[in-house]
Order: sequence, then structure tokens, then C-alpha cells
Amino acid sequence: MPANTSLAHLSDVLLVWTVSAYALAMLGYAAEFAFGRSGGSARAGRAGRAAVVLTVAGWVAHVASVTTRGFAVHRVPWGNMYEFSSMVSLVAVTVFLVLLARQPVRFLGAFVMAPVVLYLGLAGTVLYAKAGPLVPALNSYWIKIHVVAAITASGAFMVSGVVTVLYLLKDRWERRSAGPAPVSIGPGAAAAVEFGDTRVGGLMHWLPASAVLDRLAYRVIAFAFPVWTFAVIAGAIWAEQAWSRYWGWDPKETWSFITWLAYAAYLHARATAGWRGRRAAVLSLIGFGCLMVDYYVVNTVLVGLHSYAGVG
Amino acid sequence: MTELAEAAKLSTAPVPPQRQPGQGLRRNLRQAWRQLTSMRTALLLLTLLALAAIPGTLLPQRGLNPVAVDTYLAAHPQLGPFLDKLSLFDVFAAPWFAAVYLLLLVSVVGCLVPRIRLHTRALRRRPPVAPRNLTRLATSTEWSADAPPAAVVDAARLLLRSARWRTDIRTEDDGAVSIAAEKGYLRETGNLVFHIALVGLLAGIALGGLFGYKGTVLVVQGQGFANVRSSYDIFQPSRLYSDSQLAPFSFMLQTFSASYQPNGEPRAFDAVVDYRATPDATPALRHIRVNHPLSAAGANVYLVGHGYALHIQVRDAAGRLVYDKDTPFLPDDAMFASHGVVKVPDGLPKQLGFTGFFYPTFGVTPFGPQSTYPGLRDPELDLAAWQGDLGLDSGAPQSVYQLPVASLRHLANRQLSPGQTWRLANGTTVKFAGVDQWATFQVAHDPGKRLVLVAAVLIVAGLLVSLRVRRRRFWVRAVPADGATDARRSVVHAAGLTRSDPDGFSQEFDSLVRRMKD
Repeated sequence: MPANTSLAHLSDVLLVWTVSAYALAMLGYAAEFAFGRSGGSARAGRAGRAAVVLTVAGWVAHVASVTTRGFAVHRVPWGNMYEFSSMVSLVAVTVFLVLLARQPVRFLGAFVMAPVVLYLGLAGTVLYAKAGPLVPALNSYWIKIHVVAAITASGAFMVSGVVTVLYLLKDRWERRSAGPAPVSIGPGAAAAVEFGDTRVGGLMHWLPASAVLDRLAYRVIAFAFPVWTFAVIAGAIWAEQAWSRYWGWDPKETWSFITWLAYAAYLHARATAGWRGRRAAVLSLIGFGCLMVDYYVVNTVLVGLHSYAGVG
Repeated sequence: MTELAEAAKLSTAPVPPQRQPGQGLRRNLRQAWRQLTSMRTALLLLTLLALAAIPGTLLPQRGLNPVAVDTYLAAHPQLGPFLDKLSLFDVFAAPWFAAVYLLLLVSVVGCLVPRIRLHTRALRRRPPVAPRNLTRLATSTEWSADAPPAAVVDAARLLLRSARWRTDIRTEDDGAVSIAAEKGYLRETGNLVFHIALVGLLAGIALGGLFGYKGTVLVVQGQGFANVRSSYDIFQPSRLYSDSQLAPFSFMLQTFSASYQPNGEPRAFDAVVDYRATPDATPALRHIRVNHPLSAAGANVYLVGHGYALHIQVRDAAGRLVYDKDTPFLPDDAMFASHGVVKVPDGLPKQLGFTGFFYPTFGVTPFGPQSTYPGLRDPELDLAAWQGDLGLDSGAPQSVYQLPVASLRHLANRQLSPGQTWRLANGTTVKFAGVDQWATFQVAHDPGKRLVLVAAVLIVAGLLVSLRVRRRRFWVRAVPADGATDARRSVVHAAGLTRSDPDGFSQEFDSLVRRMKD
């Protein structure tokens, strides 16, 4: 069946709305984050609430964009890199909204929205692919199971990566401010140190304690890791049906495995003396880096069986 | 271990290695074993395994693309052989790669065995005694109750039992009664199941690697395949494979059909076969498609490729049919421009051969003739006729897709459409009778597959349980309010302990305490 071009066009328009709403929301969160510490917190709070409303509006447009794309092409809307990226950011925003409904994590807003906007921007420009049918290799019900799991885990890992970066920043700040007072070399130097500290410190005060951020990152990874494991296994089952073997060290398989190992190392590090905290956090960021390699580098640079990018 | 430390020990995780008793070699060995099975080593090996896998994705690998490896070796005459010596073109079969995962396996098993023992013991043991001073724990509270200590604790026990806590009541010397409760043993069970399943997964992979087989065969429409080793074009047995593993199934390729999008990208493939599980079975009609292998007596048959087979008829000058066959041509590009060779060794005064190029949809471009669409819209066949000794009688093995043109005499060239006949100068006629399709099938048998699947399911299940369930302890101690043993009132202390997710636990703790106060 040929693609329905008017629906596909509607989907593209909705995506533009989505990105605009997310970008505005990001500004709102950033405003709250930047001005919330000083006296004008009422105005800052309004900016934060407006940002939440914009996020929800953007999310609705995002769901509509993905759905119309699916109807336009008469199949699941995650058949190439453009569609996949859109889904991953949708999951990241969903994870953020779910967290927001349960605990006060509005401080995360700007930091979740920034990569999401970047991701969607990249998807809509560089990775964009015209609406079209799937190649036969993708024509299987496993695309629903395997790819949905991969999308869900990737979106959640994205959120955990953001939280982990914040954790590392906050942790460093806590260590510094708890440490000995800076030795004064001269009046100018002392003033500079103090000025720098209060400015960054103001933003840092706004963030929850590092222990809270660490637990939040862990909770998100504890959700994403089994989902990622399932995605890899579902991929293996599909590979067994499509390519006659469940594992063949194809670059995509290998990088998924490396990503899995990195997050497994993170989970072990949390239970190992001397590795808790910062070192474990670094491992989880390495894991996220591997996920990005798995996604961008493997799909576009390395040649393998997962070359469905539809780019170029 | 102090009482409090004992109460706080919520996991069977190994304690970091300490100085061991004993002497000399024995002590060193024990120390080394402790070191190998420690969490720190597991962490190191996990990282090492990840690092070791990376070159396998950056350099071409023989197992995936042997041609790319040869190209790389030719392009890097200095570096290439050096990398090859380090097995960097066979990373996943390299001894150093195996060393890392085998060490990890030993480390996991060495860590698992004591933990399984500890966990089964913990499952049967009473929850640890309430620490003397419950208020020293981070999550704790106290209140006074209008009931004697025994009644308070009995009520607490009922409540905890209904929430499926394991409980244990102790009466203490000073008339106080305490209850120790524990919950969430499943966390460690899940953790152990996950790690045992990992070992099972490796066992399954090994089983497949030792006893499986894999083979590829090209079948032209209307022809058949029987699962014996000599039928295969390529056959890859495993190390401990024996021919008795080949199930006696067979099939005949009735039709193969392919459909394409207007731009030539494939849309769907379908191979219809007559399948027999055994030679005496009645044939059954089956479809083999991409993503839909045929399950054949323990093996799977996959559709892995396709192309065109050209029906060529050759007659001698007297009109006698000397050659009448479907000859498979191999595709060279996505539009299925294909090349092939026809060999006519018998029936003519001199042996005759043809090299050919086939275009399913013929088009002329600045670069010469090309195929512009993979479907049969305007098929054309370019043939070159060659005469001489084809070399078939020498006994040396020869590819069916190659002709030794260097030692042959070139006769003429001709382009043919289906149905057209070409008369050579010596009276021999060549007829392009028609186009058929062929498909390549891969047959794979992996006896470890089922074990791998079961292990994979257990891996996910174990992981979910171990990351979702929290192990936690809860204690209540009721002390007689006025110091007398038959007091009517008591002072109640409650405390709880968990390692993971303290936020969630403090809510659970508060709700338990609230219900106890009511």
C-alpha cells in the first residue's frame, strides 16, 4: 500500500509543534532553575508550571505525530532512524512526566528537554526519511516487541544519563563546599573564588542532595536495564527467525552487548566497596555512551545487518 | 560480628577479602580464589569483556565478512598481518577473548556456590534478633500502647503475617517481648537465578557450537533438495557433528516469487515448497519467507537469497537437442543484473561454452547496459560463445560459474530476448527458452537453542525480581511501661532496615507503624 502523503505531512507538522513546545518548555524550566534561588521565586515558579503545561502539550502533539505517521505508512511508526529517534524522545519525555507525577523532579526539566530537543532536531533534519513501507526483513511481529523494548530502554537510559550528570556535578560541589576553605592567595583571588562559588552554588542549591540524585538515577536504570536485557534477547529470537542464528556478533549485536555489560558493571559497582557513588556513576555514563555508539555510529558508519537507517 | 552489624547484613554478597589463616602456598591459593570470586574482579572482568569486544566491531571480521578482511589485508600490508597475528580479525573466536569470558564464568560460579549455600541457610533461619537499642537505627520510632507487651507483639505479628513477613517472637529477660520480621528473600533468589541462568546460557551456546550444523544450498524452481551432506553447496559442521544428525527431510521448490517497490527495493519474497519430513511421508505444501523459516525435523530452513536461472536449449546442426537446462545466474547488483556460464561438453563436434550477462529489465545507460529494475519487465540476455576444451575432463575441480576463456576461441556475441534463437556459423542453434527463478536456502540445526531460550527467559525473570524486590527487616520491642511483668501498658519501639530504595521503605515503615498504633 502506498503511503498516505497528507497524513504523513500532518505528522511532520505535528513534530514541528512538538519540538517548539519542548524548546519553550526547556526555556521555562531553565528560567525557573536560574532565577528560582533569588527573591523572585513566585515568578520563577510560574515559569516552571508553564513549562510543565508546555511539556504536556508537546507530549500530546508528539503522540499525535507518531500515531499519524503510523497510519500514514500502514505499519508501526518505528521502521527507520528518524522514526526511532522520535519514539526514543517520546519515551524520555514520558519517563520524565511519570517521575514528575510521583516526586518533585521539576529541576530535571531543562536537562531532559535539552537532549530531547537536540535528538528530535537531529531526527527531523539529518535523519529524516520519507514515509514508506518496510523492507521484508523488518516485516515481522518482532518489530513490535524487540524495537519497542529497545526504544523504551533507550528513552529511560537517556533520563538516567541526565540525572547521573547532575549527580556528579552536585556531588563535586558538595565535596568542595564541605572541604577546607580555599587558601587565600590575595584579595583578588579570594574574591574570584567566592564569586564563582556563589554563582554556581546558587544553581547547585536548587538541585536535590547528591544521594537523592544517585537513588533516582538508580531507580531509572533498575527499570531500564531489564527492559534492555529483554530487548537484546527479543532481538536474538528475531535474528534466529530472520538470519538463521540468534547471535552472530553483528556490530549492532556487539554494541548492544557492550552497553549491557557497562550497565551490568554499574549495578555491580553499586554493591562494591570503593566503587559506590562517583565511580559507579561514571560507569553508567560510559554505558550511555555505548548506547549512543550503538545507535548513531553503528547505524551510519559501521556496516552490518541492522542497516535500516534509511538515511541519505 | 556485632549484633547491629549482623542485623544490618541484608545480603549474601561476599565480604571483601581479608587476611586468611593458614600458611604458604595454601594461603596464597585461597587468597587468589577469594580475589577471583570477589565483586571487584567481576567488575574488572565485565569491563575487560566490553573492551575486548570493541575491536570486533571496528575491524572487519572473518566470521561476518571474509572478503572485507582480505581487502583490509591487501590495503594494509604492514599492519594487517600484525593485527591478524593478534586474532583481531577473529575477535570473538580469539583465545584472549575466550580467556576473559571463561575467567568471568569461573568468577561467577565461584561467587555463586557460596552464595547459594548462604541463601538456602538464610531461607531457613529465623530473622535476626532485634538489636538492643532500636532507636539507634535510622528508621525508627517509639510510642506507648494500652496493652501488655505480649498482646502488642501478638497484634504486630498478625499484621506482619498478613503482609507476608516472616516473623519470630522472643521473650527477653526483663519482661520485654520483641518480634523480628524479614521480607524480600526473593531479591536474592532472583539474583541467584539470574546468575545461574547466565551459566546455563553459556552452556547452551557451547552445546550448539559443538553439535550443530549449518549448510547452504541453491535450488532452482521445480527442483528438489534432500537433507544429505552431499546435497549442500556449502556445509559447516560443528566440532562434534556426525552425519547421523541430518534429519532425512526433503523438499521441492514449486515456485519462488518476489515483489518490489517502484524504486526497486524489495517488498516481499515467498518460496512455496513441497515438504516431506521423511522420504515416505506425503508431501505438504509450505511457505518459506524472510522471517518465516520452515521448521523441519529439528532443523530450520531459511530463505537467504534468490536470483534468476536461465533456460537455455542448444541443438546441433542436425537439430538434435544436446543441452536443455536451467542455469543459475548470480546477481551482481540490487537490480539483479546477473552473470553466469553455460557449458555444453557433450553432443557437439567441439565443446561449446557461453559467458552471459542477464538483465531482468534491460536499459542502456552512459556506463553501458544495465538492469533498471529487479523484476522481469524487459529481460535481455547477452551471450558470448566460446569453443574449445572446457577442461571438464581433466578431473580438476572447476566452478560452475567460470569458464576458462583464456584457452578458448571466441566465436561471436549476441543479445537475446526470451524465445529467440541464435544460429552460430557452424549451424549450432542456441535458444533462450525462458527465465526461471532460484532461491538459496540455509539449513541450520542448533541443539543448544532451547536451553539458551529457557536461560534467557530466566535471566529476564531473575533480573526483574532482583531489581524490583527489596530485602528489609523490621523489629518491634514492647517493654512493660512500669517495669512490672504483668503491666497493662507498654512502651513500643519499632525500627526497620533496608539497603535499597530507602524512600519507598520509609513509606512502608510509616504505614506499618500507623496500623500497629490503631
